[in-house]
Amino acid sequence: MEKYINEYIRPRLQGDGGEITFVKQEGDEVTVLLQGECSKCLILDRCLAWIEQRVEADRGEKVKIIGIRKKPYFQDV
Amino acid sequence: MAHIKVQRRSMRPEEWIQLRFGWLKRHIYSEKNEITTFMIKDARQVSEMNFEFYDEEFRPLKKGDMYFTPDGTAFIEADYELPAHLEGKKYCFSLKTAAEMIVKVNGVYVGGIDPNRERLNLSDYAEGRKLHFEIMGYNRSKPDDERNPESLSVRGCRQIFEGGYISVVNEAVQSLVYDIEMLLDAALSEVFNEDFSAMVIRGLDAALNLIDFDDLRDEDVIAASKYIDENIFANKDYKGSGNVALVAHSHLDIAYYWRRIHAVQKNLRTVLIQLRLMDKYPDFKYAHTQAYTYETVEKYYPEIFEELKKRIAEGRFEPVGAMYVEPDCNVPACESLIRQCLYGQSYFREKFGLTVNNCWLPDVFGNSWILPQILKKSGVDYFVSNKMSTWNDTNRFPHNNFIWKGIDGSEVYACVPPTHFITWNMPSQVQENWEAYQDKNEGGQTLQMFGYGDGGSGATEEMVELMHRFEKLSVMPKTEHTTGSEFLKKNFDGNDKLATWDGELYLEMHRGTFTTKSKMKAYNRKLEFMLRDAELLSVLRMKNGKEYPAEKLREIYKKLMINQFHDILPGSHITPVYRDAMADYEQMEKDLAEIIGGGTKYLNTLNFKRKSVTFIPDKNGNIIRKGEKGYYTIPDIFALSSGQIEPAKGGTDWISVNGNNVETPLYSIKFAPDGSILSLRDKELCREWVKGDFNKLKMYHDTPGNYDAWDILPNYKDRPCEIAVKKPLEFIMADGECAEFSVTLATEKSEWQMIIRLFRDSRGIEIENIVDWNEKHKLVKAEYGCNVLSRELVCDTSAGIIRRETHRNTSWQQARFEVCHHKWCDMAEQGGGVALINEGKYGVSAEGSTMALSLLRATIRPDPTSDMGTHNFCYMIYPHAGDAVSADINKTAFEYNVPLRKADVECALPDFGKLWLQAVKLSENGKYIVVRLCEQNGERGVVELPEKAAVLNMLEDEIGESDKIEYSPFEIITLGFRM
Repeated sequence: MEKYINEYIRPRLQGDGGEITFVKQEGDEVTVLLQGECSKCLILDRCLAWIEQRVEADRGEKVKIIGIRKKPYFQDV
Repeated sequence: MAHIKVQRRSMRPEEWIQLRFGWLKRHIYSEKNEITTFMIKDARQVSEMNFEFYDEEFRPLKKGDMYFTPDGTAFIEADYELPAHLEGKKYCFSLKTAAEMIVKVNGVYVGGIDPNRERLNLSDYAEGRKLHFEIMGYNRSKPDDERNPESLSVRGCRQIFEGGYISVVNEAVQSLVYDIEMLLDAALSEVFNEDFSAMVIRGLDAALNLIDFDDLRDEDVIAASKYIDENIFANKDYKGSGNVALVAHSHLDIAYYWRRIHAVQKNLRTVLIQLRLMDKYPDFKYAHTQAYTYETVEKYYPEIFEELKKRIAEGRFEPVGAMYVEPDCNVPACESLIRQCLYGQSYFREKFGLTVNNCWLPDVFGNSWILPQILKKSGVDYFVSNKMSTWNDTNRFPHNNFIWKGIDGSEVYACVPPTHFITWNMPSQVQENWEAYQDKNEGGQTLQMFGYGDGGSGATEEMVELMHRFEKLSVMPKTEHTTGSEFLKKNFDGNDKLATWDGELYLEMHRGTFTTKSKMKAYNRKLEFMLRDAELLSVLRMKNGKEYPAEKLREIYKKLMINQFHDILPGSHITPVYRDAMADYEQMEKDLAEIIGGGTKYLNTLNFKRKSVTFIPDKNGNIIRKGEKGYYTIPDIFALSSGQIEPAKGGTDWISVNGNNVETPLYSIKFAPDGSILSLRDKELCREWVKGDFNKLKMYHDTPGNYDAWDILPNYKDRPCEIAVKKPLEFIMADGECAEFSVTLATEKSEWQMIIRLFRDSRGIEIENIVDWNEKHKLVKAEYGCNVLSRELVCDTSAGIIRRETHRNTSWQQARFEVCHHKWCDMAEQGGGVALINEGKYGVSAEGSTMALSLLRATIRPDPTSDMGTHNFCYMIYPHAGDAVSADINKTAFEYNVPLRKADVECALPDFGKLWLQAVKLSENGKYIVVRLCEQNGERGVVELPEKAAVLNMLEDEIGESDKIEYSPFEIITLGFRM
């Protein structure tokens, strides 16, 4: 899962100015760290749902993606 | 007792107007027919015209469905039968979206839709009732323009489809909406007379009272418009002043929050939208930059290119900006900037028969002093850039329309418009421009660009409609919709009242872009010199009958120029843009190495004898420099000549090491354990060079705020960080020429090894840095407190020297706390000084007698991974007698940057005296061997040529003939030797 997030999902989010890093997987819960544009996205839930769909389509696993936002200090207002 | 702020809770008149204005906008369409047959395929763009699809098949796309994916492109299709009653009538296609869409109907490019416009005229382009839609949509989390609040509110990589419609516009409502839009902006902006605002609010209130919003009727709408005409527009009591030229334009970053591959479609959409505006509005004109973007239209969308050519021929679609792209104008060297003009102008001449006489760089982060000469000799008389007026953080740039005098004395007309290059043509923006304009009495009109941008998009129908109404509003300045070149000619030519600015156009912001993304800067430098040598060697081989690889060299140069774009090379872009650039650099290096080739002898490609210590790669060498084995020696090879090289013979008795005290033939040195130099005693000149921290690595918190990759703020000095000594300085080895010392420094997250090299026969002290860099928001500088009394820092510009004060007397010097230099900088007093020579570092600061080279940053926006990982770079400290010019520091810096090339070629080029042989190439027309010479020290002189040569401008046009060159300070001369 870590390889999948970092090598498949990550370049796609980076292409949108975002950043995602795998943090941990506990059972069917996958935690990721979100930076860049993702960290301040108003509709991030839609993107996390898309990641869940891709995981299911590509890996046949049903998971819940938990996103932790890490905003840059200058945008954390 | 709690304080309760008194607030007005009842509706103000202007709020009541705005509420009703919103209701009115709901009636813009008199009819909307939903298209329910949309099908979609989600994809990701992988090259300029190739896409990876998530699914093979199209899926239905219904209103309310989610569409687009991160970094996503979507292909949407639909078949629709036009209702019979609309046949022969006016109708449009409407679709509200955050994405950027190019729309084709029945095989015809009908226009573009994006967050700035939700409809396009269809009835004028589509024939018959059967309509086949092909839409290519590209969605960005960052919209074209963050200044448009509507764009911001819908940002995000997953969007909800709001449906697509065949709609009919109620022209009466639409016209009234434009009237009110303009009047509300004027009345609420606070830049116009308050009595005028009150009059407008009263008038709008009365006009809207004529409409029953429960039963909106066209005749009421027409009556409201008539009321506005007769009561607001007819009121000429409020007089404005000023004269503003309006030029439609769209700023298009070739890469930024998107990759270069995406700019192909961003540009097409922009061009298409402007062409469709021209179809609708016969008076509409538009200015578009960058030959590269025209090339992509020609290559991939030839039918649009043909339309474009027609509009260019009519003078309505205006190519502006003579350059190939809008490059950074700090870091690229002189020859790169010349090629930006050469390849840009060559394209415009070949395709459109035009030589563009202006340089249009609205967003570039400051402009080198060498530019006026380059522009003037490339057919360019005018320079346009908005940055200095709108972004300076300390001083107000004192002119808008003026003359810019370059380093050599060349002059171009310069326009730095008072306001931003992205505006949406509102009355308040026009007024703000006039109010901010500083050359009202001397400069003629002020320039206002309008159109959305950064990612293209450009002017909208609304902007044109408002512009057509401006003359009705007496309070506004007079406006004239014009082209860029018409504006420049009208206001500058023969204007002898213009002030002159003699110096660089330093931007008091974005000072971090000299340093951010360190590896890109180093690669750019390396490739600039590789290109020089590849062209030179290709010409020499051509003389022996080998074919000159003109096409390949041009292709490589163009790739380098694209990567010099002002959001690529400066480092202000997202992660994939960096990856693209590095892949390009690696490929260019490989291609150039192939062209340079190999041989048994070493060729000195410099047009002067080498006398500096040089690293020679050799697998049997005992030194590893930047991962490569080799040795140091002083090559005895004359200008443009070949020879053999051997490692220096002799033992190691030239150096003695006693703890941290070191003796060489030239210096007595006392090191500190961290590698800094406590004392550098010059045995030859009998003097001490150190005063303060010298060769001291300093790390600072670097927190410039939102413009993270762009800016360094002066407050970085307030928060230095600790760097620990992990492994103190130790002597490593010595051979007949070089001795190495090593020290390892560390922070909690990073490790920094410094290898210090001393030489038997050279004044230079080389520092190699091997860094494992894992910081966030840090800036590292190498600081040199010099024992010289100097009040100026002399910097290489790549085509001459600029002297910058190192005191902080005025706000102008205070603002220049970090500046851009090229291969070297120097501080000297009468009798001697210290130079720092680098291989790809551009940022430097200087205060008093201390200079500090900026080495690495660790920014997180736009790229959270910026500069992370390993780095390996070198620079050289070079104490010398005399000043930088008499000490030939420039030559030493060339020797440091241009390696000896292995090549078995005969070099038969004339002696050009003290002039730097900047380029030797085959002319673009194949008729000449072009030789470009550059005076770099500020001297005047004469060079006799062995034969007559054509004198060329930088576009390689013949402008004369001579066998003698009389040159002046910092002059660049281009000669053509006939084949």
